[in-house]
Amino acid sequence: MKKLSLQLRLILSFLVISLGVGLCAGLMSWYETKEEMDEFFDTYQLNLARQLASADWNNINHKTQKKTNELIEALDDDGEEEEEAIAFAVFTKQGKMIFNDGEEGKHFVFSPTSGFANQQIGHKKKNKWRMIWLESIDGKFYVAVGQELDFRQEASLEMVLQSLVPWSVGLLFLITFTLFLVRKELLPLKKMAKTLSNRRGDDFSEIDTDALPSEILPIVDEMNDLLERIESMVKKERSFISDAAHELRTPLAALKVQLDVLELSKEDEKSFNKASQNLHQGIERSAHLVEQLLALSRLETNHPSKIALKQIDWRKISHEILTFYQPKILQKGLRFELQLSDASPIEQGNEILCVLMLRNLLANAILYSPEKSEIKLKITQRAITLENLCALTSKDFARLGERFFRPSGQKEMGSGLGLSIVKKIAEIHTCVVNFTLEKGLFLVEVERNNDKNFKNLP
Amino acid sequence: MRILILEDDMLIGDGLMVGLQKLGFSVDWFTDGLEGKEALYQAPYEAVVLDLGLPGEDGISILKEWRAKSRKEPVLILTAQGDVEQKIFGLESGADDYLTKPFALAEVAARIKALVRRHHNQLDLVLRHGDLIFNPKTRTVTSASQNIMLAPKELLLLELFLLNKGKVLSKTQLEEKLYTWQEEVSSNAIEVHVHNLRKKLGKNIIKTLNKIGYLLGDE
Repeated sequence: MKKLSLQLRLILSFLVISLGVGLCAGLMSWYETKEEMDEFFDTYQLNLARQLASADWNNINHKTQKKTNELIEALDDDGEEEEEAIAFAVFTKQGKMIFNDGEEGKHFVFSPTSGFANQQIGHKKKNKWRMIWLESIDGKFYVAVGQELDFRQEASLEMVLQSLVPWSVGLLFLITFTLFLVRKELLPLKKMAKTLSNRRGDDFSEIDTDALPSEILPIVDEMNDLLERIESMVKKERSFISDAAHELRTPLAALKVQLDVLELSKEDEKSFNKASQNLHQGIERSAHLVEQLLALSRLETNHPSKIALKQIDWRKISHEILTFYQPKILQKGLRFELQLSDASPIEQGNEILCVLMLRNLLANAILYSPEKSEIKLKITQRAITLENLCALTSKDFARLGERFFRPSGQKEMGSGLGLSIVKKIAEIHTCVVNFTLEKGLFLVEVERNNDKNFKNLP
Repeated sequence: MRILILEDDMLIGDGLMVGLQKLGFSVDWFTDGLEGKEALYQAPYEAVVLDLGLPGEDGISILKEWRAKSRKEPVLILTAQGDVEQKIFGLESGADDYLTKPFALAEVAARIKALVRRHHNQLDLVLRHGDLIFNPKTRTVTSASQNIMLAPKELLLLELFLLNKGKVLSKTQLEEKLYTWQEEVSSNAIEVHVHNLRKKLGKNIIKTLNKIGYLLGDE
């Protein structure tokens, strides 16, 4: 289910809590008011009953009653009087009503009690009344003063409701204000969302953090960091693609020109054969370049954590690779000196990548060593070391390991990616590659990276 | 037409050399920048094909040095760098034309011919001398509308005379323009070719100036 917006949730919960609290407060105040009102009206009723009880009722007859009724009816303005507010009647001991207030009191039924009681009155309305019965001072009469209970309740409710009015207005104002405040505070977020949605896919510029609430700032800062990282990755990717495209031009040019020569040599068998042989060589070179490109691109895109690790047997790997290159080694009359041990800087690793790394290193050494020279391969716990003679200028040496860099004038068909691949694989295995060149002796060392800040991320 | 190629990629260099030879050029090919740069001072070339990434010395600085030393040979740059800035930089460094790899051999040949033609201020596509017409593109010669069959070196020699009307060319100059360093030249090779040209195109086609050299005859 879609989560409600922060704004809506805030306002809803605010509303529910306010109403809950308001309801509780109202109920409590209604209960309190009712108690107070009961006390107040009871006192009032008792006072009235006492006054009536102390009056002299001996001379009262039906004429007095009639006169009273006429007087009440003649009143033009009876103030804010309510019929149910208070009523009374006077009875003889025998239960005969001799006088009443001319209104509700005439419906009173003779049923004296001691003290207050809630009684049903024999009137068409079946409402309960609060009644007090008192004996008159002379002991001949009963005085009854009553008040309708509904009236009391309505009066208390009215008082409570009236006290709630300013509170409700306050609540309404508070909700409006909160709504406005939340909207205002969230406006920069909305603005940011809009800017982001209008952003081009290749726009990696920082998100503006001005006017953003401090609660959101850390997220935006992190997003800016992420943008920066993505930008550098995209840049790397782009330059890789452009480098790769550029590097493919040379082998393609070779293929094209050799094919042109082949077509021109239809009647010249010797030249035709040479061009055909060159074409084969050129295609092999292109295939090798593409293979290396794919290897490097896979290394770039795979996160090291996704690479399966296992125990690496460097002896086995070294012998396999050397067997593979045996024809070339014999052809150039190279000598090999091997110093292998069971320990190595990469004990746990990915076998395919480790083979690829050592193969690239050995292939380079075999390719660039002068004829009849010696190549030394040493694997110790500290490092994998490869040493060979190499005619490399110091200017070219400084650029080794750069993608697609090949010292110019190479007669050998390299892709210029071998050492980049070696570096990348070493990095994935938390190792570094060091190159040194001294008096024509080229030394490559793959050793563990002891820099604690080193992150083996692509 | 003798041209100089500086290209360090073995397959491209070999292809250019063999291919352009098949298209009628005499070609010298160097893979090293320094050697290639010196070669231009050692022999008369009609044009140069120059790769930019060369060992020894890079193409652009070679080109700048040639231009600084007033070498006017037309230069066609061949490079894998295809962007406009690179082309502009190459042309402003003194190149006459620019081709991006991969290229067609025929286009290289056509551009070299166009550069040479422009270099000699010759706007006509064919070379004329009286009723003789030499077509550098098809490498055919007609005299009074009759096709004349000439051997490859005779064609090169005739082209040289036609491109250098009014100029005296010494025997050594002709040898250098006709033959690359790989080819062996017999001492009377030029005399033999001149003799053959006179036999096929008439005695007056080439004049001999004793002990100085040869000159294209009057129309």
